[in-house]
Amino acid sequence: MINRFFIKMALLPTTFYRKLGVDSSQLKAILSAKLLMDDRRPAAIQYGRKKTDKPVSGATWATMITTAFLGLLFIFAFFVTNDSFTQFTIYFSFYIFILAATLITDFTSVLIDIRDNYIILPKPVSDNTVLLSRLLHIAIHSTKIILPLTISGLITVGIKYGLLSTLVFFFLFLPATLFTIFLINSIYVLVLKLTTPEKFKSFISSFQIIFSIGIYASYQVIPRLMGNAFLEKYTIPKNISSLFIPSCWFAGAWKFLTSPSGDWYFISTFLLTFTMPILSILIVIKYFAPSFNRKLALISGSEQATVVKQSKKTHIPHAWVYRLAGWVTNTNVEKAGFLQTWFMTGRSRDFKMRVYPGFGYLAVFIFLTISRTKRNHFTNIDLNNTGNILLVLSLIYFVSFVIMQALMQLSFSEKYKASWIYYTTPIRMPGELILGSVKAAICKFYLPVVLIIVLAGIFFIGPGIIPNLLLGISNQILLSFMISFISLRGFPFSQMESAKRKGTSFMRGLMSLFIPFLLICLHFLVFKYTVPIFLLLALSIIANWLIAGSIAQRGWKYFNGNYRED
Amino acid sequence: MANPIISLKQVYKNYGYKEVLKGINLDIQPGQVIGYIGPNGAGKSTTVKILCGLISDYEGTVLVNGIDLKENPIAVKKIIGYVPELAELYDVLTPLEFLGLMANLYDLDEAVAKERIQKMMQAFGLSENINQRMDTFSKGMKQKVLISSGLLHNPEIIILDEPLSGLDANSVIIIKELISKLAKEGKTIFYCSHMMDVVEKVSDRIILINNGEVIADGSFHELQSQQGNNSLEKIFAQLTSQETLGDTADQLIKAFDN
Repeated sequence: MINRFFIKMALLPTTFYRKLGVDSSQLKAILSAKLLMDDRRPAAIQYGRKKTDKPVSGATWATMITTAFLGLLFIFAFFVTNDSFTQFTIYFSFYIFILAATLITDFTSVLIDIRDNYIILPKPVSDNTVLLSRLLHIAIHSTKIILPLTISGLITVGIKYGLLSTLVFFFLFLPATLFTIFLINSIYVLVLKLTTPEKFKSFISSFQIIFSIGIYASYQVIPRLMGNAFLEKYTIPKNISSLFIPSCWFAGAWKFLTSPSGDWYFISTFLLTFTMPILSILIVIKYFAPSFNRKLALISGSEQATVVKQSKKTHIPHAWVYRLAGWVTNTNVEKAGFLQTWFMTGRSRDFKMRVYPGFGYLAVFIFLTISRTKRNHFTNIDLNNTGNILLVLSLIYFVSFVIMQALMQLSFSEKYKASWIYYTTPIRMPGELILGSVKAAICKFYLPVVLIIVLAGIFFIGPGIIPNLLLGISNQILLSFMISFISLRGFPFSQMESAKRKGTSFMRGLMSLFIPFLLICLHFLVFKYTVPIFLLLALSIIANWLIAGSIAQRGWKYFNGNYRED
Repeated sequence: MANPIISLKQVYKNYGYKEVLKGINLDIQPGQVIGYIGPNGAGKSTTVKILCGLISDYEGTVLVNGIDLKENPIAVKKIIGYVPELAELYDVLTPLEFLGLMANLYDLDEAVAKERIQKMMQAFGLSENINQRMDTFSKGMKQKVLISSGLLHNPEIIILDEPLSGLDANSVIIIKELISKLAKEGKTIFYCSHMMDVVEKVSDRIILINNGEVIADGSFHELQSQQGNNSLEKIFAQLTSQETLGDTADQLIKAFDN
């Protein structure tokens, strides 16, 4: 429905289009098809959203609502400080950043729609029609993001500064948006210059991961900034150097337009606001667009273009991974699971998208926990204090949530159809495959963290903490095995993401919360006593050995019988 | 006659209400090249998937080398090599990694597997790409890796499901040669395809199924003597299509009449 409105609006100047040599019925056909496809593709901005069996429809509304929430986040700009110029500068900085980020993550697929090459180009459609359809598409898409993104800001400004200010503010989004589009283009061009087209897509997904971690961090940090006395008095200096910050231009222009003065600073920001975006768009059209299009053509033709490039390496890459696999696994099948998981987790884009943000959230969380307790002076933690013991324990044990998340995702993949290899090969004990896979996840995601924990523990607390660290580490490996034992029912990378959890999942979920809790309690009780610690450590190691063994012993009956192709 | 290496007795399979296989009976002798053909949806790939272990909930008996597939699937899988049709691949892996994975799953000795992988890749002209991720590969290159993965453990029975898709003319010749050489070595080959001219040339025996039933079975010459001296393509059309295919083309042309 909303799309029909946009198309109508976009097609209003028909006569003008005709003068440009644009066929408006073709234009309408292309635009409606593109918007329809947009509507059925889940937006990137809804990161972490679980896919369902239902085909996506009405993605437009979903995107607009999510974006509105994002917009709500940065009206804080109007409350942390008293200086209106600084407020608007902060707001515009956020606006430019969020808009750029959403457009990059959400819009890349639109810009790099290689199907255009096959579907539209062979048809009798004029270049101008194609170009205009692309421009209008970008404009409509941006509007869908910009309106909900700015609505809360506009309301806030309306309440705080009155109607005129709001109108000026609204009007200023135009140059700010143009400038953002220039920024995005520069980023694209830069990335394409630095890397090969096939790496471009992985750049986009890394960017998405960082973006979602950034958003999480802002939700955590921003509320704490409110009422901060230092920030309340903070103002951005009005000098030459701040003229290099783009968001200052737009904020300055607002100031100039709402309360005109002869101040050189505001006059220059006003001028910059209107010259820079136009200048930058000209740069985009003249210099960026041609090379960009050539590169895009490369992406679509990557199949032929990249294969020619052959590696002349004679040694086997990742030889150390094979060696590691040899050390920690017992059978060939287990080794297969290990290597498969090790390589796939590092390369599969969809696995990274699902798991890596979690690592970031955890890092942010731990950082905030530590910074909140800085009064404790970490250099010499007094372990007679119950609070401190709990802090150390929770830091040791929290890390396991990361490995849990990785474990839970191990059996899912977009490439689930490739799992025919497990069913056509003579695997006697499929459990071995799972065990290898779990071991790989532990080695890859947990052992590096272990190293950091041990070093940090020794540095901040002293060697006395080592027995406790060992127990904690062994317990967490035990946890990983237990969770895998309880809930891993699929082969590595063999299931569709949307596969619904079985009815028992509630009990399993409860168990997976209860077991860590139990282990932390036990550990807490013995924390100060060395002998029980070593006893528990021995028990924990034996339990590890037993559980790993029983995972390996899982037979075919335990796994969902058939290969699923659809 | 020797004991059949593959024997299907009254094999049924349904997806919900839809019966895909309606009692297939087949005996295949060792060393035969079987051309298994049929229109889309006839039950061809279902038969293949049962044979190579992808579908386990069928009715009836499947014996491979005298072993019941239901009772001892592991022993059966050991002697079967399966080359799927343009199958999905974990294509972020390199050929070396993928074939290494397959070798581990077949429990091959690592040194033996490594040598075989190198040789096979070299034979296919892929030795320079052996450490390259397969997501940059063309269809034909992927298909070559898949063919290697099916032959890696030197199986007795080789099931090829449309193995020529994506291959260029020269590679097609290589594969046809390979099929006849493998047959000479005594391997049994189960060849599924839509390409009638290839089936006609490589197969000792052609099995045609339609609507889940075997409707013709014999060497190409036997089929010719039953159905008139036609090409396999014509025989196929006579047996599987109710209306003459020329009519369909006529109707398509008539769509321009408005």
